[in-house]
Amino acid sequence: MVGFLNSDYMTIRKDFKLVKDPYSGVEYVTVPALIPDVAVIHAFQGDPYGAVITDSFRNDRLIAMAARKTIAVVEELVDPDDLLPGRHGVYVSAAHIDAVVVAPQGAHPTACRGHYSIDSAHIIRYMEAAKNDDSYRAYLEKYITGPENHEAYLEVVKGDAI
Amino acid sequence: MSEQAVHPFEQMIVVLSRLVRDGEIAAVGTLSPLPAAALYLAQLRHAPNIEPLVYGDPDMRITDGLHEFFGLAQRGLIDLFFLSGIQIDQQGNFNLSVIGDYHRPKLRLPGGAGSNMMIMMAKRTIFFTITHTKKLFVPRVDFVNGSARDDSIPWRRGVFSHCVTPLALLRFDESKGRLILDATYPGIGIETVAGNTGFDLDTAGRTIPEIDPITEEELSLLRGTVLERLRRVYPLFCDMIWP
Repeated sequence: MVGFLNSDYMTIRKDFKLVKDPYSGVEYVTVPALIPDVAVIHAFQGDPYGAVITDSFRNDRLIAMAARKTIAVVEELVDPDDLLPGRHGVYVSAAHIDAVVVAPQGAHPTACRGHYSIDSAHIIRYMEAAKNDDSYRAYLEKYITGPENHEAYLEVVKGDAI
Repeated sequence: MSEQAVHPFEQMIVVLSRLVRDGEIAAVGTLSPLPAAALYLAQLRHAPNIEPLVYGDPDMRITDGLHEFFGLAQRGLIDLFFLSGIQIDQQGNFNLSVIGDYHRPKLRLPGGAGSNMMIMMAKRTIFFTITHTKKLFVPRVDFVNGSARDDSIPWRRGVFSHCVTPLALLRFDESKGRLILDATYPGIGIETVAGNTGFDLDTAGRTIPEIDPITEEELSLLRGTVLERLRRVYPLFCDMIWP
């Protein structure tokens, strides 16, 4: 890594080590590689073979390549010939993806660029609910454990807006 | 001057924009509407040849997200970057991780992300803070995410340039190795700044200039074209400040 040297990270992270670069002789910090068991990414589109188009501002492609298993939640399923990056997308080969789940508005309450923006009212509701255990339990019951599936969750969310 | 009074954030955007030099490749990371606006404004006024890399701007096309930003910085291709902190101290150390003891914090934050690398590898970093209090400007930060300079690291190229706050413009003085008051804003005296800062700003015996007031042109550009561009990246922030 370039960085971290002489920061307080070095005192709290015993797994960050100092090494000498064998080529320049200069000291750098190394950090252990992060290899997630499972990564879940949200993508714009996917095809039936597992390739996806994801947001170029995100590090989803990197994450998919790092994780042992990657699940891609996609806004829509398209024909392989129509799976094109467009202006804001990046193609991620099916080789990196283990499962594709079709869930329109699957990024809710956060945004999906070019599709929908952040649901700030819901985020604020969540932040309020997260302030204590009882209200948080109620939140989970209403939005997460209660609804049978993603469609049912979206129905509950839609009900809030009325 | 326009009807609506100048908001402290507008003052900050103008001060930030005046610090941008023409021709710079300037990058703005996440959650940074003020520097983003500052780059748009600078590009319209005195710095037409800058390349603004505003994370989240739909006009900017990249492939690998923040990873790509970091790669640019590490190669020495980013001239100017912007950071903030929950605490900043006299030596120019900044903290984005915790308030209190790291293992038993009063407040834990999302953390420093790429800030430590960015301040070392972007050529210069300008700080911005949306408040100016003794809680923020402390004698010593609780956790050092990064430092203003580090002469012992041969590959470090980045310097702490300035810090723009709602009350004043601070500057990191290389020879003194500390943050000092660089300029005050119209209508805000040195006493106000000093009274809200938890360390001495080296004002004794120095003449502190007052920055030039915002011009009609700066304000109308800011509230026009700049705001239009900013809205596409930070709609909620814009609705809050410019309803």
